[in-house]
Amino acid sequence: MPGIEIHIGCDIGGTFTDIVAQMGDGALHVRKVASTPDDPGEAVVAGLADLLKDVGASLSDVREVVHGTTVGSNTILQKKGAKTGLITTQGFRDILEIGRIRTPTMFDLTWEKPEPLVPRRHRLEVNERMGADGSVVRPLADADVIAAGQYLIDEGIEAVAICYINSCFNAAHERRTADILAEKFPQLLVTASCDVLPEMKEYERTSTTVVNAYLLAAMRRYLANLTRSLGEAGMTAPLLVVASSGGMMRVETASEIPVFAVGSGPAGGVMGAARLGQANGRPDAIAFDMGGTTAKASIIEDGAPMLTSEYEFRDGISTPSRFIKGGGYMLKVPAIDIAEVGAGGGSIAWIDDGGLLQVGPVSAGADPGPACYGRGNEQPTVTDANMVLGYLNPAGLAGGSLKIDMSLAEKAIMTHIGDPLGLDLVGAASGIRKIANVAMARAIRSVTVERGRDARDMGLMAFGGGGPVHAVEVAGLLGIREVIVPAMSGVFCSVGMLASDVEHNFVRSLLGPLAKTDPASFAAAVTSLRADGEARLRTDGFPDERITLFFSADLRYLGQSSELTIPFDPDAVLNDGFDGLAAAFTASYHDTFGYTNDEPAELVNIRLAARGIRENRLTFEGVEKHVVALDIPDGERSVWFPSVGAYATIPTRARTVVSSGAVTGPAILEAYDTTVVLPPGAVATSDGCGSLVISVPDSEMEQ
Amino acid sequence: MAIEIDPITFAVIKNGLDAIVDEMAYDVIRTARSEIVKDVMDYSAAICDTDGNMIAQAKTVALHLGAVPEAMGVVLEQYGDGLVPGDAVILNDPYQGGMHLPDIFMFMPIFDANENLQGFSVVICHHTDVGGRVAGSNASDSTEIFQEGLRIPALKLFEAGVPNDTLFKMIDINVRLPDRVIGDLKAQFAACRTGARELGKMFDRYGSEMTSTYFAELLDYAERMTRAEIAAWPDGTYSFTDYIDDDGFNDEPLPIAVAITVHGDSVTVDFEGSAPQVPAALNSTKSYTNSCSYLSVRCCLKGDIPNNAGVFRAINVTTPDASIVNPKLPAAVAARALTGYRIVDAMFGALAQIVPDRVPAAGEGGNTVVCLGGYREDGAPFIIVDMICGAWGGRPDKDGIEAITNPSQNLSNTPVETMESQHPVRVEEYALVADSCGAGKWRGGLGVARSYRLLAPEAGLQLRADRMKILPYGLAGGGPATGAINEITTNTGEPIYLPSKINRRMAQGDLVRHVQPGGGGFGDPLTRDPARVARDVWNTKISAAYAREHHRVVVDPETGVLDAVATTALRAQ
Repeated sequence: MPGIEIHIGCDIGGTFTDIVAQMGDGALHVRKVASTPDDPGEAVVAGLADLLKDVGASLSDVREVVHGTTVGSNTILQKKGAKTGLITTQGFRDILEIGRIRTPTMFDLTWEKPEPLVPRRHRLEVNERMGADGSVVRPLADADVIAAGQYLIDEGIEAVAICYINSCFNAAHERRTADILAEKFPQLLVTASCDVLPEMKEYERTSTTVVNAYLLAAMRRYLANLTRSLGEAGMTAPLLVVASSGGMMRVETASEIPVFAVGSGPAGGVMGAARLGQANGRPDAIAFDMGGTTAKASIIEDGAPMLTSEYEFRDGISTPSRFIKGGGYMLKVPAIDIAEVGAGGGSIAWIDDGGLLQVGPVSAGADPGPACYGRGNEQPTVTDANMVLGYLNPAGLAGGSLKIDMSLAEKAIMTHIGDPLGLDLVGAASGIRKIANVAMARAIRSVTVERGRDARDMGLMAFGGGGPVHAVEVAGLLGIREVIVPAMSGVFCSVGMLASDVEHNFVRSLLGPLAKTDPASFAAAVTSLRADGEARLRTDGFPDERITLFFSADLRYLGQSSELTIPFDPDAVLNDGFDGLAAAFTASYHDTFGYTNDEPAELVNIRLAARGIRENRLTFEGVEKHVVALDIPDGERSVWFPSVGAYATIPTRARTVVSSGAVTGPAILEAYDTTVVLPPGAVATSDGCGSLVISVPDSEMEQ
Repeated sequence: MAIEIDPITFAVIKNGLDAIVDEMAYDVIRTARSEIVKDVMDYSAAICDTDGNMIAQAKTVALHLGAVPEAMGVVLEQYGDGLVPGDAVILNDPYQGGMHLPDIFMFMPIFDANENLQGFSVVICHHTDVGGRVAGSNASDSTEIFQEGLRIPALKLFEAGVPNDTLFKMIDINVRLPDRVIGDLKAQFAACRTGARELGKMFDRYGSEMTSTYFAELLDYAERMTRAEIAAWPDGTYSFTDYIDDDGFNDEPLPIAVAITVHGDSVTVDFEGSAPQVPAALNSTKSYTNSCSYLSVRCCLKGDIPNNAGVFRAINVTTPDASIVNPKLPAAVAARALTGYRIVDAMFGALAQIVPDRVPAAGEGGNTVVCLGGYREDGAPFIIVDMICGAWGGRPDKDGIEAITNPSQNLSNTPVETMESQHPVRVEEYALVADSCGAGKWRGGLGVARSYRLLAPEAGLQLRADRMKILPYGLAGGGPATGAINEITTNTGEPIYLPSKINRRMAQGDLVRHVQPGGGGFGDPLTRDPARVARDVWNTKISAAYAREHHRVVVDPETGVLDAVATTALRAQ
């Protein structure tokens, strides 16, 4: 079949690998296969071959594979990274272990501080020092570096991070150190902080650099294997990796700075939601992704995900609280600002010592899974509650491949929740569901209300296996009027990747009062950032007309430690001065914190996001007719809605039915990959971009 | 008509309150100006009911919690019905609800849609300076409170949303860095408003009567959980005395004596036998002593008990009058935090006899406060208020932790690069100190050292440390940790040892270095697994000599490899 051009989006998760193929004519095909954790490429190649066979194409027709991976996060969680060493300034070998001192819990004398990724034995000091003004206080001696390198080699170290105090103001010693190590010890994998994160705050920078060094070998090995597997199967197209920021990285880039891809997994869905919002006229929205273990929320403004410049990667579930530190590994890299709560389909409901009903964060996961799977878990989960209430199809999830035993769900709920609390089955099941909804609403609050954004002004884009099962009620808790369920919402992370661009991020520290900033220094920083961004994208193969540059400035009031990142047009600033930027900062500050000051703003950093616009990027316009979906036959079942307060038999319909007219709840819409719950009064229509648009009825509104 | 408590709504309201106080706390950290608030995080945020009971507190400084009720009492007594929407009341006077002068409390009344008072949002920040004789307003060698800075009784900083210019001007002119202090007050105001706005929504949604019923249930719930645990503790009286090295003027150790009596489902804490109040700034107000006592008990409770005032109802604290744990005017109190830490240490010592499987050996004994203040070459003033933390003692089933906040606070640290970019100092060391841990089956955490070289022409140095003479205790046969060290290196080149509490001048180029104590050990050091000892030697946290001396374990100092045969022989001796 000549002339086929296929783009592949692929989400390699711990349990399933989701593959979506975008055909030259726009058609979208989906395949879900079991992951092969030992060699993730195996599942990708097998699933891809299977999918392509069905559509009569081969791997040589593939133009590009974009993929999200959990290799970075899993390598840290399982402590399987390289044996890593650290070279620091005299007096500061323990910066990495000291960290920021805090604990994420209070009153807990049993708490354990995370083990640093580099033990003290392998953290070495060299006698050098830069001043805060960038001047050399103590020069670097080459011999010290060689001695340190030799020691680390003798200790069997594979990767080395270099982070010197004040290198953000003068990186000469770091660069010299990296050069010496590369020359004398070519077997070492080396990361210098100035190449990963040239920003102030030594702990955050050291931690980020160490994680990068720690991941280098694993990420390189993984990417090389995947590239080889695909190549051997006949694919010649490039492989791209989703970065934590939602942009795409070339394999070559991800092999140098893997720390930028630790949050690769969930980013694709948020990018898809952003792109969908551009197409269906909803540039401001909340992306809401509910899976088996957690639910995640992030916000999209003006068609772009909100980014954070730092986050803590930790074992277990991150709380939605923004100011808690100390529980994980600090990564100061751009990442989609995602709040995560331990409330997914597999999350277990339990009663605490004081008699309070709780849901999660412990999860039964996919295996053994909810009690109704009958595979050994006897604790009630959110999925069990949904099953008892009639929301999920008892004939089986995932297209009927899973057998469900309703009596096990009922028994689990009554034994562990209903009987102890004196609630009947419906009371206990609806309680579990409500507590899960509140937890998910809390994640959404933390990215909206806590940021001064009113959730009521935005639509809720719900995806992931469980998102559309809960979305309308969660929306009601927050006063949100509209829920959008995108096409192929159950595999939307893969779909979303097809909508992403290639992106590289750069930063320059430029500290001082904004109004007194030297225009020449500002211009020089802009020029050098632009040169870096364009050079990187040209290397990636983008012609100039497909390159776009987005500049922003980190600003704050004098004396503050947290900045707001304000976008700017460099030409406007250079022509008209800094007043416009200052005004934009004031406005954003007012939006976020509800007050302003008559004080001067301080400039901290200038940032550049350099994007290469991919050809055939998925835009969602007209995607509806392209979705090759596997529908589930129409039927009916008995469902309990809170606004009704009793079981009632309602119709279940194929989700595609909406394209031929609005559907008013109560109703359940089902597809191969997900279930959409429409409570009474909710009206689902089509947006022409493949999504359901559901208006949330007043009866679901709680405020 | 009584409102039935529905377990689901109860969980929703509890989680909602936790989200609101977190949001308030986040507002503070994002908008504050001084390192002590935004980096060190010496502040807290809470919501109180109309009676002043704290019903939720953000994960901020734990020790502020117990002092809120007393301060709220003062605000209610003074203003009662005279509060209107948009008011913000501040206070810092330790003799009228405050703790020490740098901690300024702010209370904002919260009203429902019918303008009925329904609660308060509360934010407490440690301010960089509130005037007085020493920069940072934190000196431990003041002899009466009038030397310590500006005392603010309960006054409205905002009246119906309008700033009180008189009070702002009074503050502005009395503090060394008004930009920072006023900026931090605005951060407190923004956070209080966030709390008022969000709690207002909760009243709108559930109705005032129903919401306040649930607030009352939240307090009862915490009390029930607390009493249920205490009921399982063995009845009896358990005593412990710990000591502060000295007050900085006299060499005498100052006892903190505590007797905890468990009777049924409550405890009484009595401080009889503690030192009389001292003519130095170490006196802890009764409200702060209460806080420390509540917190110590709270740390020994299992379970996820809500952090609210219900916990306090099961704990009764009594103190001798005019004592270091309950001083009388005009006693100075700026450095009362040190006494608070020792109260916690003494409490833990007694609690270890009640619940020996939950209490660690003594930690570092509290953070060390370093204040450096002066003028730059260009005449501009600067003040550094830095805090150095910390180590936990060995625990009944695991080692202590190094480089960690004292469990009674939840402090952070100031990045070296942030400090150097804002102030004329260079930090030359921030590191763990090998061999500083108390030995035990489970060793204590290592102490931390930090040093500052002055780059400005000169400055005042005020340093509050302790545990030089009375070391952090071990438990169950564990050894004590090493003590604190203060030293200064001037142009003569040799470090000079200094006492624990210092107020002196520093010249350009001088280097001051503080070493914190480590944490005490738990259990007999000779029962420590030799493999763990060897691992610590390998990881350069203890020396081979320490391993041999304290654990009778033989380890190669270079490779960290255990010599099992020699160890067995040595331990058999």
